Amino acid sequence: MSPELETDTPDEPNYDDEFDAIVVGAGLAGSAAALTMANRGLEVLLVERGTSPGAKNVFGGVLYTPTIRELTDFEDAPLERYVAERRFSMLSDEDETAVSLRPGEWHREPHNDSYTVLRGEFDEWFAEQAVANGATLVTETTVTGLVRERDRIVGVETDRPDGTIRAPYVVLAEGGNSLVSEGANLKETESRENVAVAAKEVLEFPERDGVIEDRFRLVDDAGVSYHYFGEGAVGDAFGGGFVYTNEDTVSVGVAYRIEDAVAADQSPEETLNAFKTHPAVAPLLRNARTVEYSAKTIPEGGAESIPELVHDGAVIVGDAAGLVLNNGVHLEGTNMAVESGYHAGTAIARAAERDRTGADALRAYPDALEQSFVVQNLERYAWMMDAVEEDRDLLFEDLPRAFADAGTEYFRMDRNPKEVHAENAKHAVLDALGGWTGAAKLAFRYRKMVT
Amino acid sequence: MSAQPQTPDVTNDSMEDRLYTVKYDDPGESHLDVKVPDICAECETNDCVKVCPANVWREGEDGVPHIAYENCLECSSCRFACQYDNVVWEYPETGGGVTFKHG
Repeated sequence: MSPELETDTPDEPNYDDEFDAIVVGAGLAGSAAALTMANRGLEVLLVERGTSPGAKNVFGGVLYTPTIRELTDFEDAPLERYVAERRFSMLSDEDETAVSLRPGEWHREPHNDSYTVLRGEFDEWFAEQAVANGATLVTETTVTGLVRERDRIVGVETDRPDGTIRAPYVVLAEGGNSLVSEGANLKETESRENVAVAAKEVLEFPERDGVIEDRFRLVDDAGVSYHYFGEGAVGDAFGGGFVYTNEDTVSVGVAYRIEDAVAADQSPEETLNAFKTHPAVAPLLRNARTVEYSAKTIPEGGAESIPELVHDGAVIVGDAAGLVLNNGVHLEGTNMAVESGYHAGTAIARAAERDRTGADALRAYPDALEQSFVVQNLERYAWMMDAVEEDRDLLFEDLPRAFADAGTEYFRMDRNPKEVHAENAKHAVLDALGGWTGAAKLAFRYRKMVT
Repeated sequence: MSAQPQTPDVTNDSMEDRLYTVKYDDPGESHLDVKVPDICAECETNDCVKVCPANVWREGEDGVPHIAYENCLECSSCRFACQYDNVVWEYPETGGGVTFKHG
């Protein structure tokens, strides 16, 4: 953290205002920031355009909760299931080759801090935690722009009558579709190579009792997180499919780059249909009924597309800041949203103690984020997107097919000795990789995944 | 003989049925528009139509995409997809647009 110079001219924020800080968006990043600031005695206004927090959010994923657990009492949080199994499947158009993990430890509290949630419920609960600690929440109010005085952001414009609200600090937590930040030239519109489109359904089973437990081999509150990639999941697009178990529903969806979606010969909805009817996926969803269809974009540009996070009087957090990690194995974003909101809130509270609102006074936020898992993880995988792009055909088409062929060959029943089958299986994989040299090159290229 | 046993029943609702699962308040027409209609008329790729997960953007006979505002799931893919930066997308008016129960 950079030391503040005593000689700096103190800022003069408008103290006539009712609030110390305005948070734009009551998603996870916004509520984390509001909760953090309220805990430190600031008067916080949390502005949400939906009818309730979470009403505009779409999430197919696992919520990782170490920071939330630190920020508030977690006992009564609306969690669906803890993640007891993680499964990664390569799909060709008719084969599945999967790796599945079900460690005993995940069954014991705190369940590796990994839970499926439904955002419509979870976000409302999390915002209530901020309110319980003193924040003020207004819903059905859309922030349409920022108020500036000279170069300083001093408040927000809303679509309410007399809708201008002033405060010394503004936290922009408006999500990946960040029109306010873009409109104020605080960030550029993300390019379509860096944004994924996701289509998702929540499915319910009319026969209900015990269906999810039986079908996914679960007991009590245990749940699963299934990830699928390869051409059987989303064609040759960069992305994948997923299935998550909720308490009595299942979330199923696909997410892939917009760049690939415009090049594909099917719409996201059709891709989702094809994924749902893949022979490896369809049995999981048998007789299920769609209770909700949703879609969203996900900023997946990684470390390189994080915008400038601090401005005079404002900070950007969560999806609006592009804080999403997708490297095929780790799919994270909500935990980064909470972490960024927490660090932003802490930095603002410290700056407020010194009556300062300038970007310099808020630098503690990006500094802390740099030191946190958020930026460290994003930077760790910054190299990967280019590598995967270069190996796209191999990773998404050739390898899934080769592994399926190798497995078929290895276990083939005929009157040949096992040695013949093992040899054939080896060749199925090696041919796809380009021999031992190709295999070694690939291992070297992706060594950072494990080292 | 088919290569696989028949896949079990999986409901793939029509888009209309799917959208019934989502609650809409009056979405208003102003939140989605094209900036310069001439660009759409000239555009041959219609990336907005290809990427839209809710059939909001539809190719009209005149070549200009038509917008079914009431279907919009507010994902904003069209805005990112358009190569000409020609999609105007605003947050729907207060209390309007789509509401997800589960999200």
